[in-house]
Amino acid sequence: MKQSRWDALVARQPALFALVLLVSCIVINLILQPNMLARDTLNSNMRVFLPIILMAVGQAIVILGGGIDISVGAVVSIVNTVLATRVGLDGSPEEMWRYVFISLLIGLLAGAINGFFIAYLRLQPIITTYATSFLYAGMALFILPNPGGGIPQEVAALYRNSTPLNLPLAFYVIAAVLLIWLYLSSTRYGNFLYAVGGKAEAAYETAVPVNWVRFSTYLISGLMAAFSGIAITMLSGSGNADIGGPMTLNSITAVVIGGNAFSGGVGGVAGPLMGAITLGIIQNIISFANIDTWWETLVKATIIVMALAAPGIVNLFRRGRP
Amino acid sequence: MKRISVSPPVAALILAVVLFLLSGLLPNGFGSDMNVARAQATNIMRLAVFLGVIAAGQTLIIISGSEGIDLSAASVVTLTAILTYIFVDGMDTRVLLALLIALAVGALVGFMNGVGITFLKISPFVMTLGMSGVVTGAIIVITHGSVTGKVAPIMTRLIARPLSPGLQIPNAIIIWILFGVLMWLLLERTAFGRNLFAIGVNRITAKLSGVNVTSMNLLTYSLAGALAGFGGFLLVGNTGVVHLQLGQPFLFPSIAAVAVGGTLLAGGKGSYWGTMAGAIVLTLITSLLTTMQMPESVRRMVLGGTLLILISIYGRQRALRQ
Amino acid sequence: MAESLSARNIVKRYGGVVALSDGNLDVHAREVVALIGANGSGKSTMSKVINGVVVLDGGQLLLDGQTVHFPSPQAAKNAGIATVFQELSLIPQMTVAENIWLTREPLNSFGQVDRKAVKARTEELLALFEGTYKTGLHPDASIASLPPDEKQIIEILKAISFDPWLVILDEATASLDSRQVNRLFELVTKWKLQGKAIVFVSHRMEEIFRIADKYSVLRNGKSVGAGNIQDINEKQLVKLMIEKESVLGFLRGEAKSEENLEQEIALEVQNLDNDGLRGVNFQIRKGELVGIGGLRGQGQRHLLHSLFGDIPYSGTIKLFNQEVHFKHPRDAMRSGFALVPGDRAKEGLLYIRSILDNLLLPSWRRFGLPLKVAQAKKEATQVGSSLNLKMAGLEEPVSSLSGGNAQKVVIGKWLMRNPQILLLDDPTKGVDVGTKAEFYALLTRLASEEGKTILLYSSDDEELIGLCDRVLVLYDGMIHTELSGNTLTKENLIAASLGASQGGTE
Repeated sequence: MKQSRWDALVARQPALFALVLLVSCIVINLILQPNMLARDTLNSNMRVFLPIILMAVGQAIVILGGGIDISVGAVVSIVNTVLATRVGLDGSPEEMWRYVFISLLIGLLAGAINGFFIAYLRLQPIITTYATSFLYAGMALFILPNPGGGIPQEVAALYRNSTPLNLPLAFYVIAAVLLIWLYLSSTRYGNFLYAVGGKAEAAYETAVPVNWVRFSTYLISGLMAAFSGIAITMLSGSGNADIGGPMTLNSITAVVIGGNAFSGGVGGVAGPLMGAITLGIIQNIISFANIDTWWETLVKATIIVMALAAPGIVNLFRRGRP
Repeated sequence: MKRISVSPPVAALILAVVLFLLSGLLPNGFGSDMNVARAQATNIMRLAVFLGVIAAGQTLIIISGSEGIDLSAASVVTLTAILTYIFVDGMDTRVLLALLIALAVGALVGFMNGVGITFLKISPFVMTLGMSGVVTGAIIVITHGSVTGKVAPIMTRLIARPLSPGLQIPNAIIIWILFGVLMWLLLERTAFGRNLFAIGVNRITAKLSGVNVTSMNLLTYSLAGALAGFGGFLLVGNTGVVHLQLGQPFLFPSIAAVAVGGTLLAGGKGSYWGTMAGAIVLTLITSLLTTMQMPESVRRMVLGGTLLILISIYGRQRALRQ
Repeated sequence: MAESLSARNIVKRYGGVVALSDGNLDVHAREVVALIGANGSGKSTMSKVINGVVVLDGGQLLLDGQTVHFPSPQAAKNAGIATVFQELSLIPQMTVAENIWLTREPLNSFGQVDRKAVKARTEELLALFEGTYKTGLHPDASIASLPPDEKQIIEILKAISFDPWLVILDEATASLDSRQVNRLFELVTKWKLQGKAIVFVSHRMEEIFRIADKYSVLRNGKSVGAGNIQDINEKQLVKLMIEKESVLGFLRGEAKSEENLEQEIALEVQNLDNDGLRGVNFQIRKGELVGIGGLRGQGQRHLLHSLFGDIPYSGTIKLFNQEVHFKHPRDAMRSGFALVPGDRAKEGLLYIRSILDNLLLPSWRRFGLPLKVAQAKKEATQVGSSLNLKMAGLEEPVSSLSGGNAQKVVIGKWLMRNPQILLLDDPTKGVDVGTKAEFYALLTRLASEEGKTILLYSSDDEELIGLCDRVLVLYDGMIHTELSGNTLTKENLIAASLGASQGGTE
């Protein structure tokens, strides 16, 4: 089966579409908001985008391995409610960092539970993480039944105003994530990940430790969701048990427009990362487009659906050609 | 794990009875008062009707396999309930037309789901989740936050009231039983039903045996949407009021009901009787929790945990090593 | 390097089906042992037990006389056992190099994969088969873009890349052309000199006699004979493989009469072209039983599935002189076509559904609304008894049936529709000998007495010779030769399958 040159290019660089989309959106945004790239505006934007970026990275890795994690939003909610109640507005920075550490453990635990049911009990990822999403969401609501609580002012201010070397803090975080991924994907583990997501039976026959690889992807996803929860708590400064809910679909959309195959085995982390930023910029564009408040929800939802549909539509056109 | 020898719908009914008896033992329970017990049982059944009807479309979609699921059902219920409410505006003459509108709108949303899933190859979970956002957005546009309308007296008469004063069984239950018979006919006594099971088991065999899988997919999702629309119509007829979150509490339980009823989440096996039993079980669980005055967070955790346990029993997939 | 591996009294069950009840094999270094058996005899299961992919239910494995246990493919690999699989163990989305070195990639001091070393070593391996493949084969090519023969070569290279002492070649030559087979056999000879042991799982006699030193025969899950290849001939080997000689000697005889030439042309194909076919032309008359021959993967499946409307094609198909172009199997079905697909578990049956559901699947429309199930059951029972279907009841799941009976259900569902044209893709694969005989009788009757037109692909040469009026041998997507009557011999079939010109008539 010969591949056309276009196919070969897209296969090699699935993130190409994401890059093009991102650049287009940046251009549109710049037109509507000329000072977009100024230091403070950029910082303000990036710290709003950071939570979804972190979540999308974790989701990308799970999806690469052939699974999916619907519970990420709920994990964010748990982390947020824990921080908001345990540390509180008048907590000390030391307490904050202690609970940040605990949050990461929570994320790993949530991921381990998912991973156990999916990798070792061999349950379907979608329905399992849907079930745990409810379980975890319930826990978040239990910890904080009504919106309230918060985190110490100093910590929130730190997040808000940090611009080391005049670049947003978020840039450094993103750079760190990319570097870690670059390393990971160049190791044997990286190949294992693509093998398990590509064709698990073949990977098994080749003695790849399939179960362990799958389990690890859920650990990573849980961990990234915890990071995301920490970031969003630092952003909002307060607690709300429903804060994570809408994020889940956005993380999946980011991965899809990032060029990763939904069934696994194809793609990377850079694409979804760009996808997450793109979604954030689209949000900006909508704000600047002065759409009637009543229409906002519908417009945002329609854009998500179109973004999800885009790879499919592109494929339809490609298949149309002989 | 040993194979469960009792058929799942029967097991669910037994579980329902056990739960009901347990609820009687609680402080607020019926104790040994038969009249109160009967009244409570009737009430539970009546509440279960709406979950049962909403879960009907879910049943069809899950039987059709390929990870089929409908997360847009709840928002379709809300939309059609609101449309009915506005359109009927207290007039008996408009009821029939309102019902048709509810069915048509539901079918339209379902059809769009089907198109995205079949032609654009979007995963059913993601597509229906995205659509639910679009439908919610549409609801906001239509209502601008407030709804004016009224349910027609004939609806209340037909749905909420009992058939005859002596019998004390609300019509809703009778409607549900008739509905159940129709669903059974659909699944077991039509070519559509047989083909539905076939595509749930093996799409390739189905296609090579002359089944048009694409049409079946579109038809199934459209039908499921219409059934959700019917659910919305019934619901507003029963409660007489509408609000934005009307359908939301039914979504997760609708999936859990299908699972409890023994319909394989992988597709190709199941029945609507099972879903009906599952709906009763889930309504009982919710009602028990309310009687015990458990907060919403506990309800969520229990539901999530229940589904998790269920799929651990029924939903294990093939091992890589045989 | 180890010196010997023995499998003794191996038992393996898959659910209710017994794949092996008494499997035995002895392999020594510097030897090629041919593991022989008909389809469904347990050959592949034996190799899966040895390389740790499946758990054995009974018996033992001995490595150099010591009992060993392989709880996973990794364990077998550690013991120096490599397998070239029948169904490839390659990841389509990854490259040639990535697939070959998966789990054994050379690393640098930071734990990262050493890309340069990978590329260099891959090129070394590819050089072993140099000259036998198209130049598209290089370390960065994605597996998905390769044709079947090159994928098979990569599978072989992957197995040999960690220098195992025992190499199991499980039907490894199935997708290779003659040049590639020759090269592989040269490599096998070299491996023997290096001290390796090779197990050659196959049922291709010419290859077995060319390369093997010893043989071991499996029949219906039991080992029935072993020894030196020099001490036995082909006829004796075949006799060990099958039970009844009568099946081997099945000939339609008088049924192949010349009356066929008087009949009208039922099916005509012109310039059929798609992914797997490059311009196929032929005609079949009503009542003919025509065979398709050739090595697997030469377009046989594409031909049958194109005729059935399952895959797109360009060209012309005429049914009784009317041009047809089916876009979907349903259209083909309504015009009187039927297809018994090559993989009954994946394509022919709904495994967890009842026998009734399977038999009725294409035909429910006929039974009204609501479905007259009693009527359906009656007709299904009739078809079942006409096929001598051994079942506990119509409501039993089809998974409870043996291979032969399950295949009867596949044919039965089509016979219920009284089709005019029957397309069959290797219908007796994995079917026991008794049922095979029933199928031969059935197909013969359908063609001769009921005037149905049959087009059948078989990987079994004896079957083609015994059953068919004519055989069209496909090679590389085209009809290479047509054999019939006197020219329909094994030598000619094999020669044509390999793409050679006809080797004289007999």
